[in-house]
Amino acid sequence: MTMQNPWKPFREVVKSPWDHAKQWKRTHDRPVIGHLLPDVPEEIIHATGALPIAIEGAGRTVSHAQAHIPGYTCSHAMGAIELGLTGSLDVLDGMVIPYVCDTTRNLFHIWERLFPEVPSEFLRLPKRLEHPAAREYLKAEFSRFFEVTAKLTGRNAGIADLAASIRLYNRSRALLRDAYQAHLQRPTVWTSDRVYLLLASAMRAPREEHLVLMEALPWHETGGESGQELVPIYVRGKVWDPPGILALMDEIGLKVVEDEIVTGYRSIAVDAATDTDPIEALVDRHLAMVPYAGYHIGPQAMVNGFVERVTGSGAKGVLFLNPKFCEAAGFDTPDFQKALEAAQIPNLVLETSARGGSLEQLRVRLEAFREMLGSELS
Amino acid sequence: MGQPIQTLKQIKQINFDYYAGAHMAKQNGRFVAYVNAFTPVELLYALDVFPIYPENHAAIVGARKMTTEVSPSAEAMGYSMDLCSYARCDLGSVKSGISPTWGLPKPDLLLISNSQCGTLTKWFEALSRLYQVPMVLIDVPHSGNGEKDPAAERYLRSQLTDLIRTVEGITGKSLDWDKLRETIRLSSEASTLWTRILEAGTARPAPITVFDQFISMLPIVSLRGTQTAVDFYRALADELEQRAAAGVGAVEDERFRLFWDNLPIWPELRRLSQHLEAKGAALVTSLYTWAWAQLAVGEEDPIGDWVEQYLYKANFHLEKRVADYVAMAEHYQLDGFLYHSNRSCKFVSQDIPEVRHAVTERTAIPGVILEADHNDPRLYSIESLEKQIDTFIDLLAAKPGMNELSKR
Ligand code: SF4
Ligand code: SF4
Repeated sequence: MTMQNPWKPFREVVKSPWDHAKQWKRTHDRPVIGHLLPDVPEEIIHATGALPIAIEGAGRTVSHAQAHIPGYTCSHAMGAIELGLTGSLDVLDGMVIPYVCDTTRNLFHIWERLFPEVPSEFLRLPKRLEHPAAREYLKAEFSRFFEVTAKLTGRNAGIADLAASIRLYNRSRALLRDAYQAHLQRPTVWTSDRVYLLLASAMRAPREEHLVLMEALPWHETGGESGQELVPIYVRGKVWDPPGILALMDEIGLKVVEDEIVTGYRSIAVDAATDTDPIEALVDRHLAMVPYAGYHIGPQAMVNGFVERVTGSGAKGVLFLNPKFCEAAGFDTPDFQKALEAAQIPNLVLETSARGGSLEQLRVRLEAFREMLGSELS
Repeated sequence: MGQPIQTLKQIKQINFDYYAGAHMAKQNGRFVAYVNAFTPVELLYALDVFPIYPENHAAIVGARKMTTEVSPSAEAMGYSMDLCSYARCDLGSVKSGISPTWGLPKPDLLLISNSQCGTLTKWFEALSRLYQVPMVLIDVPHSGNGEKDPAAERYLRSQLTDLIRTVEGITGKSLDWDKLRETIRLSSEASTLWTRILEAGTARPAPITVFDQFISMLPIVSLRGTQTAVDFYRALADELEQRAAAGVGAVEDERFRLFWDNLPIWPELRRLSQHLEAKGAALVTSLYTWAWAQLAVGEEDPIGDWVEQYLYKANFHLEKRVADYVAMAEHYQLDGFLYHSNRSCKFVSQDIPEVRHAVTERTAIPGVILEADHNDPRLYSIESLEKQIDTFIDLLAAKPGMNELSKR
């Protein structure tokens, strides 16, 4: 059977992840475990036989959550509560909230009160990434998390199961990286929006099935030339917010060549080693990723590293997608901008999930940015 | 007006001496470290490092109503008004040069613990780049609901041991353990005295309100580990106990005993204090002032005690807050809770709706949420807050048995 539209299954998962998870649960009779972004090791959840499913709070209309958390909270936390209150997460048998900032720390406790019937776990990620003891601590924490998850799912998973999950996720990441490469070479077929679909669905669908579907993609199809010159940009932020932003960038002619988005390239850039202890491999992978804004490394090195990554990517400009009310992003940005300006790299800061913002206003700002970068190119 | 507390007259001079002392120390070649609450300040004193709390400086900026003069400079640098107003006031003060304490001396070290909040890490990272000085983060993994975490204890112990080596390296001095023990003794004496002061609020009428506790906090914050803090708090505790024995209240006609949640609204201290007093309402206790009563460590194993303190005692999670507030309701015979939902301090504010819900459910004591900001008057309207407070007090007054209760 030839598939009419190979992108469709991915789009469907992203559109209604909960229905897909429910169906998977019925068929497999295994638990579904939700996790907030970023950096919960999906391999651990997978190894215990559960389906890990990423929960993205941003980009949702919030009408119930304000009664439980103040309005000056970022949309990731508010949106997640909203999803819980409106029944979308009923499919979950467990929930994992990572400690990346004060908001997720508070959210964990609020979550426990609001949804006591679903066991929830707080993943205590260390912040001081460069201290040698952080590595040891993270190892202990991932081991604890493995035990807790195994208890929750009732499957006595061992190191061999974890190693198998790591191999699977590495294969998936390798294909997703190929998709990014395809995007760089043939952006008219492999648009940013399509590549995002692959990634977003990977975080929500059973990886084995996702891998099979990805293999069936038109890897060798050559696309028509883009009618316009595409301007390479680098993006820093949490998630692609608002949800339509990548399609908009494709349309406008902004090509994302690299990003630090937790549902973007950052999440697939690094694999876990397969020739070492699996827990250690996951720890090394975590420490090798581009540090999330809530983590701490040498303050100057943090800025220098960022500018180096931008320069290395060949991007002509940088887009910051800063979630409104996110302290981590808010404190980093001014110095990052200053360093970019010193390197003569133009940048644009968009405050995402700010109330009252529309996609049209966003289009105007992005078009102006593209125009400015375009004129610098010529 | 209730009778003023005599000892409080000393506080102005203590503040002055502290900030003048900080500048002098720098001029005389002493090392200066910027720190926050859950850092081992006793260790710094023992290594002859002068500790400075940028939060305290920012609070003075707020209390002197200077936020609107300094914060716009930080906003012009790109720091959004959604960020903590202490940080904005601090960065804005550095940029604009406007400060009630002639600025702060340039630091040699930035020492921070994220046990208190994650905001400080980001704020201090910005300072580290600004001043090009080293920064040490004491990373405290959050212990969930306070369950023991041996791996986190090891992680923390290792960082604290390292810290001693780092500060020794910067100062070129070795830690004098006898001096450390002496500093710890003074610090723990100050904590005990501060606890007595907070306990004095249980008397009916309360001899001190939270407003006066707020303005007497500098020594427990910045001078913990010095004789100055001990002398001041001893005098204050003695006076308060005498007032309590003589039935002298801080509020002339105390009718309602209230709890204040979260940080003060520094620019409105006087106005809110007068407004509440006019209604016969006394703020008798608060989370914020109690937080500083728990910072003492023992001389035997200070590192072990710091680990315990940062990891478990400083973990003010939702359930702990609820349990503490329920206990305080009884201990202080509270009639109501004023919950300051502080836009700037997301960490201490985000769980307030759930805290209020649970506390009211368990104690049947009502509470009102006041949405404001601890330092930035552009983010609230004092008139609306006063109206909300009035409505709340009317509600309390209408509660059956309130008049008899107020004579307990
Ligand atoms: S890091 Fe920022 S965006 Fe992410 S949960 Fe925390 S506040 Fe929200
Ligand atoms: S966020 Fe809160 S705890 Fe942190 S520095 Fe600001 S006021 Fe202090």
